Amino acid sequence: MKPAVFEYVSPTSVDEAVTALSTTDDIGDVKVLAGGQSLVPLLSLRLAQPGRIVDINGIENLSEITEEAGVVTIGALVRQAVAGRSDVVRRSIPLMAAAIPLIGHGAIRNRGTVGGSIAHADPAAELPTVAACLDAELVAQGPGGERSIRAADFFTGFFTTALSEDEILTAVRIRAAGPGTGAAYEEVARRHGDFAMAGVAAQVRLDGDTVAEARIAISGVDLAPVRASKAEAALAGRTIDDAVLDEAADATVADLSPSSDLHGSAAYRKHIAGVLIRKAVRTAAARARETL
Amino acid sequence: MAGGSAISGLVGARVHRKEDRTILTGTGRYVDDVQARGMLHAHFLRSTVAHGRITSIDVDEARKVEGVVRVFTGADMSAITEDLSFAQPIPGLHSPSYPAIAHDVVRFVGEPVALIIAESRYIAEDAAGLIEIDYDILDPIMSTTAGLADGATELFGDVPGNVVHTDEQLFGDIEAAFSQADHVVEQSLDQHRWACNPMETRGGVATYETGSGQLVYEASTQTTHTLRFLLAGWIRQPIHQFRVTANNIGGGFGLKFSAYREDVAVCAAAKAVGGAVKWVEDRNEHLVAAGAAREEQLTLQAAVKADGTLLGLRVTMKLDAGAYPINPPATVYAGLVRTTLPGPYKLPAYHFQHHIVATNKASYISLRGPWAVETLVRERLMDKIAETCGISPVEVRTRNLITLDDQPTKMITNVTLENVTAAETFQKLVEMVDLDEVRRQQEAARAEGRLLGFGVGTFIEPAPGTQEFWAAVGFPFGSEPCRIRIEIDGKVTAFTPQTPHGQSHETTLSQLIADELGVGFDDIRIVYGDTDATPFSMLGTGGSRAATMASGAAVYGARELRKRVLEIASHMLEASVEDLQIADGVVSVKGAPGASVPMGQIAMGCWLAPDQMPPGTNTEMEFVADYDGEGGGFSQASHACWVEVDQQTGKIEVQRFLVVEDCGKMINPAVVEGQVIGGIAMGVGGMLLEHSAYAEDGQYLTATFMDYLMPSAPELPEIEIEHMEFETDKVVGSRGVGEGGTVLAPAALLNAIDDALAQVGRPRITETPITPTRMLELLGVIEKE
Amino acid sequence: MNTREITVTVNGRKRTVNVEVRRTLADFLREDLGLTATHLGCEHGVCGACTVIVDGHTERSCTQLAVQADGREITTVEGLATGDGELHPVQQALRDNHSFQCGFCTPGFVMTIYGMCEDKKAGRPVPCSRTEIREELSGNICRCTGYQSIVDGTEAALAGTAGKES
Repeated sequence: MKPAVFEYVSPTSVDEAVTALSTTDDIGDVKVLAGGQSLVPLLSLRLAQPGRIVDINGIENLSEITEEAGVVTIGALVRQAVAGRSDVVRRSIPLMAAAIPLIGHGAIRNRGTVGGSIAHADPAAELPTVAACLDAELVAQGPGGERSIRAADFFTGFFTTALSEDEILTAVRIRAAGPGTGAAYEEVARRHGDFAMAGVAAQVRLDGDTVAEARIAISGVDLAPVRASKAEAALAGRTIDDAVLDEAADATVADLSPSSDLHGSAAYRKHIAGVLIRKAVRTAAARARETL
Repeated sequence: MAGGSAISGLVGARVHRKEDRTILTGTGRYVDDVQARGMLHAHFLRSTVAHGRITSIDVDEARKVEGVVRVFTGADMSAITEDLSFAQPIPGLHSPSYPAIAHDVVRFVGEPVALIIAESRYIAEDAAGLIEIDYDILDPIMSTTAGLADGATELFGDVPGNVVHTDEQLFGDIEAAFSQADHVVEQSLDQHRWACNPMETRGGVATYETGSGQLVYEASTQTTHTLRFLLAGWIRQPIHQFRVTANNIGGGFGLKFSAYREDVAVCAAAKAVGGAVKWVEDRNEHLVAAGAAREEQLTLQAAVKADGTLLGLRVTMKLDAGAYPINPPATVYAGLVRTTLPGPYKLPAYHFQHHIVATNKASYISLRGPWAVETLVRERLMDKIAETCGISPVEVRTRNLITLDDQPTKMITNVTLENVTAAETFQKLVEMVDLDEVRRQQEAARAEGRLLGFGVGTFIEPAPGTQEFWAAVGFPFGSEPCRIRIEIDGKVTAFTPQTPHGQSHETTLSQLIADELGVGFDDIRIVYGDTDATPFSMLGTGGSRAATMASGAAVYGARELRKRVLEIASHMLEASVEDLQIADGVVSVKGAPGASVPMGQIAMGCWLAPDQMPPGTNTEMEFVADYDGEGGGFSQASHACWVEVDQQTGKIEVQRFLVVEDCGKMINPAVVEGQVIGGIAMGVGGMLLEHSAYAEDGQYLTATFMDYLMPSAPELPEIEIEHMEFETDKVVGSRGVGEGGTVLAPAALLNAIDDALAQVGRPRITETPITPTRMLELLGVIEKE
Repeated sequence: MNTREITVTVNGRKRTVNVEVRRTLADFLREDLGLTATHLGCEHGVCGACTVIVDGHTERSCTQLAVQADGREITTVEGLATGDGELHPVQQALRDNHSFQCGFCTPGFVMTIYGMCEDKKAGRPVPCSRTEIREELSGNICRCTGYQSIVDGTEAALAGTAGKES
């Protein structure tokens, strides 16, 4: 289990990185290396054998978290542990703060990056689900300059995104949660820290007792994170009770067709998606109430 | 208490481990830590198909890679080695021999098909990627049912019908038992494959000295001597020119008891290239190819009286042996299950039949209590008998258990039980648990929509077992040697054939010798893992033998040397032997502290000028003791397990786990507790998380630690232990405790889960592992796919 | 061979070494620097045996490349105990509690627990209850012990009671 030969490039600017991604004559696959917590194991197992590795860890200015005009910008290289401890994230993106402790283990979060997890687009991972739930804007830079991609358009399939081969993800922009907003991330994994068999990200904004807005996304049940729009619609304008939660969960689960593997059958994943929707929405709403 | 230089009373104390300074500072020497100038690295290319005939193999491109020294195909390797054979004169055993590297038929995904020797592992793996192999695919046999089916493809020419071994044995009048029965209670269990997974995988460094012709193999093994004599023949190395060593070993759990084809290939390669070759199995290889355990299907029928009294038992077992035999022969596993299954219960009649079946999987290997399924199915059967007869799980056991008052007595399998306290540990367990309170809590929880389960179990463990026991199993019960030397300065070196890998033998043997010989704990060194230095034993460390056998050898050896020292001192101090004492390495006359002689002075005299020592005394300061086990004996324990089943997610939380164990005299309670808790952790992990899984086409599904789920700290409960120490009149009253946790915990756990299922009117478990999916299927929440 | 010169400070000692770019940090520490205490249990980031401290935080050395350590400061188990045979308080706490058996996973656990103690010193949050300690240890796999003794040792290490109990 040792990586195959590759060419290693360590740009110090995004432009250099883009150049390294674009100039690929005969080199084969090019992979961006950020925290490496998924990529390096794939290299060691030789499941990934890129011709070139573009290590973006040396690029400055991608490790900052800022909040401006109600939008939080998280640089792609912000380590998950740093994001989890950030006051800005805890205050303005409570969903991400709730999700981060569920990612792997301490030593993984110390190295793994927010941008890397999103760009890797594992459908069972927490941060892509958070991004989908909150309609994050994913900022990409390529030879043609910078563009912003909505999360709904970003996750295009199994471990695939809308990033083109010569683009890198530079930042994640998420609208700050306002007053009356609560969030919860609930998942079921075989073990503590494992990728979940299914997970649910929920953010609820209350207006008095009624739901002004509910945002829900599900991990582990499809090729990419799934936005539970039927559940969101079912909750909007309603007061949360068991019947409403059942309606929301049932409406969503009926549309899901997860696949089976050794860790959980399709029926199981579908079932717990419903369980987790109820649990996450209820918790998010309770947290929202606390902020009022 | 600290180790320090305490001089007596160490046995029974929580002495700090000798091993810890080394392992905590990372200064141990595991196989991968071995570095030598010019050392080469080995990497095996492995079969990607479960069953197929190699039609071509092209290694030309691999040989051209810079840094590649040699590439061995199967044919290349077979030219310099003999096929591995574990055949033994066991009637009906079909044990095919096989080459170190396959060159004709491959029989499981992961079977070695080429070996690359290169300057680094990186380069060797590069070269492996350039080897081209074509296979003609054959039908894979992926279950015992498929293997036994009429017209099934046969894996080997010399294993007719894929049946490695089959046998049935009858004890007592089984027909009468069933004709007298008020109830016939049936139970079946299909246990999944799971694996040892020591944190250090297999591996070794073979170093061939071309001048002398000597080969040294430093391996991660549980048994240096057996590895040596098995390998020597296969690699055509004169055994006197072959030394096997083991330093730190990162866990074994039964896996490292055998010799493997990779050992053969690495040693042969070192000879062929004339130098040092290191192979360290990576985790991916380990999971795919090292072998796995426990894949057995059992059905039981019990004849019982209305009050739950056992009258007879019929058992059939099918064991999925994988493709290739290893050591010990599969008949030993079947013999162990058959012989042990009646356990500590009165059983008048018994019929046991087994089929051991070859399949296209990695080998079935030993795993910590390889016979464990006997306890698992028996203890689950006891609960079902209780349910059938309308009595509690406690009553059904109490009515059938053999108590100390009943002993000596014979198990139906012709094994004498004496000093067995399983019933007493169970009695103690029952006293510690308020069963009525447990039921009240369960009821209260159900009212809140929560589901709690409670289960118990009890068992005996042949640790080390008896002559009779091992004769019934069909495996020798060897004695155990220990060589002890009082060095020229009075310090002590002891040589054991044990190869400790976590069992703390450096500590426990030192405790015993310190107490016997009156020397300081820190003045003793235990030497192990070197066939040039340690006395011969076939067994090494395994089978939970050391607590009795290695301890006994150390005690007897120390006693003999003590006797010699005292006799010499008696002359020197002009006092009778009875009036002498040894403390902190000094012999003195009791009550006259001024009259003393250091042991170092006596030893120096014996080593340097034996002819000047008192006439008629034995001046040999080295002695090899051979301990016969004093008849041997059993360990025993009872477990209680409390679980909560989440009816929404199917997750099982072990809330409490109580153990009452009796391994006789504890040498070091901290070591005993470590073994018990670690064993239980493995049993719980095996039932809830771990699965060595294959697809129907024979592809291996759990080739990383992302998919093969080892239990981590949050998945395991805090375990409470109550010790009992039944004392016999034997010199060595300590019994093994390494495997019992893994043997019994699955039974208590599954009984607890079954108890939860029963409360909501759901059927019992018939298949493992108990994944959340399976749990929700059992609860009727989701449909089974 | 595709190599690069890197400068890393390992256990306080600055080293400048030419490394192949595909070499993992773990292999670099073990093979090139001879620091074999850092063990490899899975090489894919699950078992935690290769955990080291990089710039003050626990990281896996099997899931990063040696070239990425250029300019960084690394502590391995070899960097804890002083040369005079005195164990580091974390090691002593683990010894006092009979935390380990075969020793293979041990260096990874020692570094994880050392990392917790450093977090405590730095005022970062650390686990309080045994349940929280178990969660913090979940990235390290031990096959021998069932973890209970390691939790005991971690409690003692965090409480700073090493060597003070029997």
